Amino acid sequence: MDIASSLAIVTLAGLIHTSFQLSVSVLTLLSGHAIGSKHSHARLMRLTTSFLFGAGLMTVLLLSFVALVLLSLFGLHTPQVIWAMTCGIMFGVGISVWLFYYRHEKGTTLWIPRELASYLTERTKATKVSGEAFGLGLTSVIGEIIFIIAPLTISGLVLIQLPAVWQIVGIVIYTIVSMLSLITVWMLIGGGHSLSRIQHWRETNKHFMQFMSGAGLIILGFFVYVFEVLGSTTGLI
Amino acid sequence: MEVSFDIIKRGGKRQSEPFLRHKLHASIVAACLSARTPEGQAESTAHAVCEHVVNWLSKHPEVTSHDIRVVAGRHLKNYHPEAAYLYEQHRITI
Repeated sequence: MDIASSLAIVTLAGLIHTSFQLSVSVLTLLSGHAIGSKHSHARLMRLTTSFLFGAGLMTVLLLSFVALVLLSLFGLHTPQVIWAMTCGIMFGVGISVWLFYYRHEKGTTLWIPRELASYLTERTKATKVSGEAFGLGLTSVIGEIIFIIAPLTISGLVLIQLPAVWQIVGIVIYTIVSMLSLITVWMLIGGGHSLSRIQHWRETNKHFMQFMSGAGLIILGFFVYVFEVLGSTTGLI
Repeated sequence: MEVSFDIIKRGGKRQSEPFLRHKLHASIVAACLSARTPEGQAESTAHAVCEHVVNWLSKHPEVTSHDIRVVAGRHLKNYHPEAAYLYEQHRITI
């Protein structure tokens, strides 16, 4: 696979990651509490920026970790069966997103267990300093590991085949693209936009986002399967 | 003189607790402020909504915390729909 195709796959995987909503939900709640607690705008921005850095760092760490594990297990030449299995995981997670990602109720309630949701809500409410917001950013990415593991794994498999410099470029691209939704919400909040409008948009478009996340996973899985498994088996690509 | 009411907690699993007007007031002020409402307006809106809730409570001897949120949200909607939306969404965002 050439560098351009590899980076395109990493970019699409990052876009799929950014369509997942747990971190965005936590950021929205965190901003609501900060504004509602009469914090200054500077403090609001400190909290939300720390959250953003926490989420970004955890994404870098997770992707690097996944790539390292894959590299130590399979070396530079990943067996076809592993590519095929990863594509299977992409299909499975894609269908799971369609079926389970949002609960069938009002608001933007996610699949996560209600105890965990209550815990995150309470932690968000209790977050007063930047360090806590940073930790919340780290946690919110971990909290969605069951879904983001699919784009992370496919990106890891693609990245370990690249030269070292391009691996770093790939990690940077994935992290930035995977944080686009968070960065957008952060900019809107910083610009003084109404939280209710942001939340209303999220609620109105949640099924579209859910469909796109699932479809993105299935399309990427299909593409990689054709490119890596069928292509190398038949020798046509 | 302030009348006291007992609130049954969610699912009846936790012990009931007395209704604390200041807690309701603070949550409504927070919702109004989150909707970028000036502080004075947030305070007066919260005061008005709390009055409605206390009146409603006097006619209902046994209520849950969920009932109070629903009634407060309904009255808040009349004063400030945007804040009411945020008040309602608070527990259903994640």
